[in-house]
Formats: sequence, structure tokens, C-alpha cells
Amino acid sequence: MAESVQAGRAPGTVFDIGYRSYAGRREGRGRGRIAVFKNGVRTALGLGRGGRAKILPWSFLAILTGIALIMVLIAGAATRFAGPAGAAKMDLPSHVDYYGIASILLFVFAALVAPELLCRDRRERTINLYLVRPLTGTDYIAARYAAGLAVMLTAVWLPQIILFLGLTFDAAEPVAYLRANWLDVPRFLLAGLVLATFTTGLALLTAAFTDRRAYASVFLVGLFIITAPFTAGLASDIQGPAGQWLSMFNLTNIPMHVNDIIFGEVSDVTKDAPAGKLPAAVLVGWYLAWTIVPGLVLWARYRRLSP
Amino acid sequence: MTDTPPPLLVAEHLTKRYRGVLALDDVSFAIGEGITGLLGENGAGKSTAIRIFLGLIPPTSGTALALGRSTSDALDVRARLGYMPEHDCLPSQLSAAEFLTHMAEVSGLPPSAARTRAADTLRHTGLFEERYRPIGGYSTGMKQRVKLAQALVHDPAFVFLDEPTAGLDPAGREEMLALIRKTHRDFGISVLMSSHLMADVERTCDRIVVFRSGRLVQSGELTTFTGDTATVFLEVDSNRDNLAAALERRGVAVSDAGGGLTIEGPDESVYDAIRDALVEAEAPLRRMAPRRRALADLFEATAGTSPAGRS
Repeated sequence: MAESVQAGRAPGTVFDIGYRSYAGRREGRGRGRIAVFKNGVRTALGLGRGGRAKILPWSFLAILTGIALIMVLIAGAATRFAGPAGAAKMDLPSHVDYYGIASILLFVFAALVAPELLCRDRRERTINLYLVRPLTGTDYIAARYAAGLAVMLTAVWLPQIILFLGLTFDAAEPVAYLRANWLDVPRFLLAGLVLATFTTGLALLTAAFTDRRAYASVFLVGLFIITAPFTAGLASDIQGPAGQWLSMFNLTNIPMHVNDIIFGEVSDVTKDAPAGKLPAAVLVGWYLAWTIVPGLVLWARYRRLSP
Repeated sequence: MTDTPPPLLVAEHLTKRYRGVLALDDVSFAIGEGITGLLGENGAGKSTAIRIFLGLIPPTSGTALALGRSTSDALDVRARLGYMPEHDCLPSQLSAAEFLTHMAEVSGLPPSAARTRAADTLRHTGLFEERYRPIGGYSTGMKQRVKLAQALVHDPAFVFLDEPTAGLDPAGREEMLALIRKTHRDFGISVLMSSHLMADVERTCDRIVVFRSGRLVQSGELTTFTGDTATVFLEVDSNRDNLAAALERRGVAVSDAGGGLTIEGPDESVYDAIRDALVEAEAPLRRMAPRRRALADLFEATAGTSPAGRS
């Protein structure tokens, strides 16, 4: 009987099993936040999108990592040709200098990532679909901020980790190098967090005020790049305390001064900045103001958002 | 004694005021299982009511309950509600499969369940074959289906559809209305469909709620508004003028309407006169039937009147 029934069927028949209600677990708001975070990371890195969406973020990550690899190669060459003592005398760029060297690239990277996270949802009005689900505006913006921060942390930490591993394994005695320099790890992690929170907050804040990604990116690149020579030039002309305070408005240097405090030495990019002579508490307070205030404005803009 | 299922949406003396503008004025109604049409012109308060039920805005006064809970508990309730907006809201660069999986997760479903639900929902809405294509390349009809699918992907108990047939050609409109009927009949999901297209509501909904200027004009079963009227409609193949004259000679008042003749409020004796007039005029009868009311008639009839429950 069964065989005769089977014989009557066309091979490969798909049976419609009808609509199945969902009776499984519902994980509520927490799952929603994680989903928005995951989607933010994928959007920022172009994952699950076409090749064009991947070109910019992955190129930047490759260049940032490439800078660290070049620093490793230079340090290795110096050790080989001049010996460990000679290499030490050369004062080659290391962890304290990396963020300064790569800062402009990191700011431009943030200017590309942040608009992807916020502008598209508003421009295509997809945000309205988030806000009618078990999710608040605060949940949405917190998850997007976390996604932006995660991507920025990858961009700042990955090259430093590569640099540290490269310097360790390139050293004549890796274990001795590790014993002498292990403190660089928490330092570059903390300094990277400082840089990532600063750039993420400012970049997302700018992206929150336009739904056009290009406008947000161009404005941010202009803000980060133009303020640097402008304030540096004016500060050197004015000099004195007024020059020092003016130098504080060099946006690219704000997290770099904190970077110097964390490493306990002045990096190449801040050694000529008048603001560097101000007390550490002022520099840290100034950095916190530029990190917390944009975050609060961003939250205020999104928390009462409704479709 | 039969158990009546509790209403899914309840509005009790619901009022919403925006900076001096009264969007909803002391509105009370209940919506149960089935497909309900929410009718009203622009600015009548339809969207405001939907936003209150979704917990997006609080009412100025009164109570709104969705699925038996106050809309002030909106976050929990929203996990069991779906919403299809009228406007474009779809990410152009994502595939329908990825977008629906993401929306199911945002609604609280675990990732593996979200993937299964997304595939099922795309199959039920007729998008399964196209699920890996970016949504930006879809036709208007397909985008409307994705909008419906995202509202259903987390298996809500109730779904709000805002102008679901907007922008669709006749064939696309038919398909969308069929999907909405399927949503309730096959999926067991109740629907509130906001529309200004009365033909869509007549063909799809079981009951209607009508707003005008923020006030409730009518609410109830659709059949009570579109039932038979006391008017008889006569349609003949030829000799229509002769038939009209024959009827008037017998004292029956007739009027031309839509390619036929209508007779207002006939009693039993008039049917004999109609039979005799048809024979005399040699007019072959094609159709004789009570005329049904259309929802448009309801709007015309209530255009100059006060809202229900008010003098």
C-alpha cells in the first residue's frame, strides 16, 4: 500500500506543512539589543553586503595593521643591523607613538563607520521598525554605540597587538622582552579605549544630525583634519596660557594627551603641543567632557524618538 | 452559554491632544479576533490610535489595552504585536532573508528560531524564491510583501497594517488582500487594517471602526453596514425605457441607476406590477435583486451628522 502511494508521487514533491505558530522562547529586550549590536557590527564592516560595502572598512583595517607591521619590520631591521643597544638608542616609534601616527586614519575610519550605523536607518526609515518592537530609542542608540565602539576597538587594538607580538618575537630574548615590557599591554589597551570612545562618540553624534552618510563623513573628516593645523598654528602664534587653551581644541590631540599620561611619556605627535604642558587632571577632564557630552547629546536625541 | 473571547484591543474614553490639537476625542471601542478595518479620512485619528496601542505615545486621558495589558507596558506587549507601516521602511542593501531574520531577533526570538521563522514567513508571503536578493531590487508589490512579512515574522497575536495596498497595481492589490485574509484565516493572527480604500475594507474585513475628526463615527460588524437595503435593482437586456414607462403606468416610482432601474422600498404588491410590466414591455430580465449598501454610502450618510454616541 505504502509503495503504491509512493509510486503515485512525483519525485521531489514538496509538501506545504502550513503555517506553524511559534511557541518557543521569547528573549525580549536583551535579545533585541544584541541583534541591533550584531547588525551594527556587520553593517560597519560590510559583512553580508556586496563587495563594495567591504572595500573601505577592510582597506582601512589593512592599512592600520600594515602600519604596525612596518613598525615591527623597522624595529627588527634596527636590532639586526645596530644590535639591541643601538636600536634602543634610535628611539624608534613604539606603542606610545602608534595611536599618534595612525590617529588621522583612525578618525577618518570613524567618519566612515558612524554614518553607516545611524544615517541609513533614518534615511530608509528602518528605524521605525525597530521602535515598534520591544526596544526603546535608548536601547537602539546604546546598541549602535556599542557596535561602533567594538569596531573602533578592533581598529585600535588589533595593530597594537600585532606590534606587541612582533616586537616580542623579534627580540633577541622574547621572554626577557616580555618581562620588561608587559605593562605596555594594559597601557595600549586603555589608551586604545580612550581613543575609541572619543572618536565613536563624536562621529555618532555628527551622524545623528543628518541622514546623508556623505555629509556626515565629509563634516567629520573636515572637523578632525582641519582643526589640527588651524589650532596648532594659532596656538604657536599666540603662545602663553591662551595658546595652551587654544591648543586644547586640536581634536586629534585630545585623546593623545591622555595616551601620553597613560604611557608616562610624550609621543611624537604631542611633543610640540602647548596643551601638553597643562596639568594631567585638566587634560583628562577635557577628554572626558569631549567624550561624555557627545554621548549625552546623542542619547537625548534618540531616547524620545518615535516613528 | 458560550465563552466570548476577550477583546484584543480596548479603548476606553481615549483622548489624545497634541499642543491644542485634539487628535482623539473620548473614543471607546473594542476589537476582537478577526480582520477589522479602521476607516477615516486623513487626520481622522487612525494613526494616533495605532501609535497609542503600540505604546509609542501615551494617551492624554483614558485607557488603551492591547492583548489585555495596558499600553504603558508597551515593551512586553510589543513582542506580540506586529506593525506594517504605510511608508517605505526597508533596507535596500539587505536580502529579505537577512532582514527578516534580524527583525525576528530584534523582536526577541533566539537566532536559530529567527532563521526558521524568517524562512517560513517568506514562504507564506510568496517571497521564498527571491529571499537572497537585495530588497532594493524588488518591485513595489514584493516590497509590500516584505513589509507584511516583517510584521508577521515574530508570530504576533495581533498585527496593525497601515494602508497595506498603497501603491499597488490591481493584481498586486488582489494578492495583498488575499495575503491579509490568509493572515487571519490560516495563521490565526488578528488584523487591524487602516485604509481609505473602502472597496479593500469591504472585501477583506469582518468589522469596521470609523473615525472622523478624532471621534468614533461607527463601529461594528461589516455586514450591518453593507447589508441589503430596501431598494430593488432591476437590470434588463433591452427595452429598459419601455419597462420604466410600464412601471410608472402601474403607479410604481422608478429611477435610473447604474445601467438599470431602482425601485425604492417596494411592498409585496409591487412585485406583481414588476412581473406584468416586464411582460408588457417585452424586456428580458437579467437580474432583480435587493441593492446592497456600500461603505461609501455610510460615509455619505454620516458626513453631516454628529459622531456616534454624541448629540
